[in-house]
Amino acid sequence: MKKILYINEKRIHDSARKHVSGLADYTDDINEPNGTLHGAVGWSKQAHALIKKIDLSEVWKSEGVITVITNNDIPGRNDVGPVFDGDPIFPTKKVEFYGQPLFAVAATSTDLARKATLKAKISYKTLKPIVTIKEALKKKNFVLKGKKIQRGNPTNAILKSKNCLKGNFTTGSQEHFYLEGQVAFVIPKEDKDLLVYSSTQHPSETQQIISKMLNQKSNSVTVLVRRIGGGFGGKETNFLTSSICALLASKTNKPVKLRLDRDDDIIMTGKRHDFYSDYEVGFNDIGVIKGLKIKLASRCGMSADLSGAINERALLHIDNAYYLSNVQVQNYLCKTNTVSSTAFRGFGGNQGMMAIENIIDNIARHLKKDPAEVRKNNFYKKNYKNITHYGMKIEDNVIQEIFNKLIKKSNYKKRYSKIKKFNLNSRYLKKGIAITPVKFGISFTTIHLNQAGALVHIYTDGSVYLNHGGIEMGQGTNTKIAQLVSNAFGISYEKIKISSTNTSKVPNTSASAASSTTDLNGAAALNAVSKIKENLEKFIKKKYNIKNIKNIVYENGLIKFNNKSFKFDSIIQEAYLNRISLSSTGFYSTPKIHFNKKTFSGRPFLYFCYGASVTEVTIDTLTGENIIERVDILQDTGKAINPVLELGQIEGGFVQGQGWLTMEEVNWKPNGQIITISPSTYKIPASSDIPKIFNVEIFKQGKNKENVVNKSKTTGEPPLMLAMSVFYAIKDAVASVGEYKAIPKLDAPATPEKILMSLKELKSRISHNG
Amino acid sequence: MLSNSIKFVFEDKIKEIKNPDPNETILNLIRLRLKKTGTKEGCAEGGCGACTVVVGELKKDKIIYNAINSCIAFTTSLEGKQLLIVEDLIKKDGSLHPVQSAMVNFHGSQCGFCTPGFIMSLFAMYKNKTSYDKKTIEESISGNLCRCTGYRPIIDAAKSLDKNKADQFKKNEKKTISLLKKIRPKNICINNESKKYFAPRTIDELKKIIKKNENAEFISGGTDMSLIVTKQKKDIKNMIYLNSIDELNYIKENDKYIEVGGTTPLIKFEFIIKKYYPDFNRILKRYGSVQIRNVATLAGNIATASPIGDSLPLLLSLDASITIEDFKKKTVIPLKEFFIGYRKTMLKKGQFIRSIRIPVFKKNIFKAYKISKRIDDDISSVCASFNLTIVNKKIKNIKIAYGGMAATPKRAFYCEKMLLNSNFSEDIIVKAQKSLEKDFQPIDDMRASKNYRIEIAKNLLTKCFAEIKNNKLIRLSY
Repeated sequence: MKKILYINEKRIHDSARKHVSGLADYTDDINEPNGTLHGAVGWSKQAHALIKKIDLSEVWKSEGVITVITNNDIPGRNDVGPVFDGDPIFPTKKVEFYGQPLFAVAATSTDLARKATLKAKISYKTLKPIVTIKEALKKKNFVLKGKKIQRGNPTNAILKSKNCLKGNFTTGSQEHFYLEGQVAFVIPKEDKDLLVYSSTQHPSETQQIISKMLNQKSNSVTVLVRRIGGGFGGKETNFLTSSICALLASKTNKPVKLRLDRDDDIIMTGKRHDFYSDYEVGFNDIGVIKGLKIKLASRCGMSADLSGAINERALLHIDNAYYLSNVQVQNYLCKTNTVSSTAFRGFGGNQGMMAIENIIDNIARHLKKDPAEVRKNNFYKKNYKNITHYGMKIEDNVIQEIFNKLIKKSNYKKRYSKIKKFNLNSRYLKKGIAITPVKFGISFTTIHLNQAGALVHIYTDGSVYLNHGGIEMGQGTNTKIAQLVSNAFGISYEKIKISSTNTSKVPNTSASAASSTTDLNGAAALNAVSKIKENLEKFIKKKYNIKNIKNIVYENGLIKFNNKSFKFDSIIQEAYLNRISLSSTGFYSTPKIHFNKKTFSGRPFLYFCYGASVTEVTIDTLTGENIIERVDILQDTGKAINPVLELGQIEGGFVQGQGWLTMEEVNWKPNGQIITISPSTYKIPASSDIPKIFNVEIFKQGKNKENVVNKSKTTGEPPLMLAMSVFYAIKDAVASVGEYKAIPKLDAPATPEKILMSLKELKSRISHNG
Repeated sequence: MLSNSIKFVFEDKIKEIKNPDPNETILNLIRLRLKKTGTKEGCAEGGCGACTVVVGELKKDKIIYNAINSCIAFTTSLEGKQLLIVEDLIKKDGSLHPVQSAMVNFHGSQCGFCTPGFIMSLFAMYKNKTSYDKKTIEESISGNLCRCTGYRPIIDAAKSLDKNKADQFKKNEKKTISLLKKIRPKNICINNESKKYFAPRTIDELKKIIKKNENAEFISGGTDMSLIVTKQKKDIKNMIYLNSIDELNYIKENDKYIEVGGTTPLIKFEFIIKKYYPDFNRILKRYGSVQIRNVATLAGNIATASPIGDSLPLLLSLDASITIEDFKKKTVIPLKEFFIGYRKTMLKKGQFIRSIRIPVFKKNIFKAYKISKRIDDDISSVCASFNLTIVNKKIKNIKIAYGGMAATPKRAFYCEKMLLNSNFSEDIIVKAQKSLEKDFQPIDDMRASKNYRIEIAKNLLTKCFAEIKNNKLIRLSY
């Protein structure tokens, strides 16, 4: 009988049947015990102001209200900052962003709770807000001190270069728009213990923050997460919802559910950092960068949150796939009176990569060369030019192979010239094409986070209970880890029960983030499996007197010792009767990685993910509207555990990136009020926006050089950056209007408005010059 | 006969809700009262589709299935209908409906939160459409947002559906029809605490109610008005629902005009108007999602009087008129006189829009354009509409109207004047573009800056005449 594998196969998501039937429970769907109360949050209507008075008398009197809480009700730490303080639950003196929570209500229904919050009377002394990156730079208002890193002598290298360019570039913010908004449900238990259900990517931190807030020990708070309706980073550190909910539950000693209304969710919670960069670059006649000086500034909002790590990842990805011999990067972490910017798929890496891609694109346009050639000329090489600007040797480089293969596969060269011809004959509609590479580093750059735990039980009937620290947020981590476990035990996938992430089963977990969830938790689960196997094997060998056999095989429900084989289910029963432990924890910590934050050097990543994409667009030069005609993607997933789930991540990540770079625009008024707060004002891609032709392929030769589960590579964040080619294809179409003689000035997101204004500026610049 | 309870078919039985809160949404009914949690709230404004349910309605002894946004429809609107939610699609033996199976097999769900909404939109398509090509699919799910998948697997799942396969609803049709016949809509009158609700069946009954309730708000599709409840968290104290009045749901066509009844849903109108003005149809396809167009009306768009109401510039350039009525009299008003300020109209308390009349210009060129950040289900930055003839190279009978350029949708009279009787040339277009600056002083907002608005307003004039000159559409093929 052939060995049945449960990996490398196209298995459906473990919850798919429940998803389509409406039977998959999210936090808001959990059955409420009688007497459950419902919360709502009252928040600041000013972006920067001293709080003069909070009058809640009408709120208290409002129908259905059971309690109202303010900062006075917090017995412990009034802060939800995960790394640094600065994110008060309810600020005491000063509000620092429009939407900052000031009080909360528990009432008999969500509707009554929300109505009650509208009755608060709050008086402020308005202070001048700082809203934009430029204002913050001017006033030197920062959340953290910036870093300056350097390799070689860029000033000198630029001076000596034959060609030189200067410029600036902006990428926009982005709202996560997970379909399930922030929600928590807290049930008080005996001894002031709390059972917390929360839509979070980080149950352990939720547990710690709530216990600190309540001045209780961590062991009194249990956090449970079965699944979340999307996270994308937006539920990595947003602890306000669960903290406020826990505070309401603790005060009333009643179960409380707090679900943010969509508008409140967008107003109150952090988004992607927008970035502004200023650069100076020197390069030779084939576009090879000789020296680069770049300043990267980001809008961090009112607090540090994860901005330190996000801006660090931007620095670490300023090279993308390119060797930068002489480089200086300086960053500025701007403090603004906007909601604290936070984690979002890509985590600063994408912003750094867009900055360098813009520079490369401009170099190519300056030299009147195909940008694809200039990109290739700058790639890291395999055996030389393979040390990054932070001193890490790249040992797994496959970007050339992927790039060349994709150029061929997508027929890039032929289409490139065809498009130029099309544009000559089309007055109003113009086409553009671009190919961009992705190299993305995998591991948390904060080294201690690279650890994970798991818990595996085998019951006497041979069924397996699996628990790990990762969060199922759609990516299919539970499915993949169950596949790994079933494969390791050689038993059918159906025997594995995947359970809720639970802080009382696996403690001290890291956030499901940094694309590492399956890498870390899968390895921890396999570690638990190997410990149980060890027990089993010892028992079998002793009982059946088997000696000197090292190669023990688990397959098709059998445990095989050369000629002797045992049925898994019966041996489990036997082991139980012989008092053998059938349960184990597992643990994993990523090897090899180290990073010195002071010298900004080391090996922050275990490995890199590579991919590339080609996009062809058409723009309407009268309106700025655009469509994506065709996209070709080639992505390295290593040896995929489940190729269909990886494909889903690649396509989904691409479209999310496309949204970031084309239509998604977060707008604030000069007074700091956010005005894009709902799907009617904030647009994420809909089904008709995706590429008309969408060819996505997994790089078949892919195999992780490092010892990662199944030799796979993650697909969490990297595919988002594949969408960079959309932006540069649009820029290429814009450039056609200047007959490719001038460099268009185009910032992201390339909305119809930005495209039209870019066209206008380009036309006027050309007519002015010529 | 007056009734104060709402009856609808649910789980193959007649469900009666006695004296419901007129402000209760169907979503809250499902989640909080029926305790079914498959249907999700994503935005509470009809913008994401997570709450999509299907409503079955008896039309000429056939059940028509419409996907709607349950978050912005009131429980009361279920009177006499069938409510289908995602859990209802699972067969009695626990097996999945073909739409559900397809979504599983094509890996159409990731986080799964939007999935029930997609299932219901695709279910309505499965029941109502005869082919499942890409256009049909994209239209059917244009009101459903997914943040995980990038839509490709969902579209592939929909493409795979087999039209000829009869599902359990087909098999059960006779029984459902007989149930629906038992609960044909009644004349409803609800008085729940301080909130009143009326759903008359005839215009005569309506007038009697108006006479006694002059301050009542009229509601039809309710896609805008419901936001008072779901977004502003306020109550609508007194509501008159017009959609039970069959006399108001009609389209009349003849040589001279098309007349549209006040409660005729856009989905029905867009099909008819296509014959006369294809661009009108194109704009309506992008007006809003299927869920919205299934219930939203032209009259509602007119009464709301938003400067960015997409049908309005089109109706203005077509010189439409409306008939408004109260309990005493009928008045016909040209639409160009109807809008008097930001969201202000000539409509007084107690007056409702009975019908809209759109002239048929057989020889005219009619063009309309909508510019927005996203193609589907977005609000215009600018919407423009041109109606003209060209006689001996001279521009005649020109009417131009814009949305998104002023506090109201508005005709561009200066621009029209510049073009009228002129020779059709690039010179005159440039001059006409300049005169648009006299017609409009737009504003900055989250959708577009004033500069961009004026720029595209001008460019759309260019586009219109370039299309006429080249005798072809110069547009992106969505």
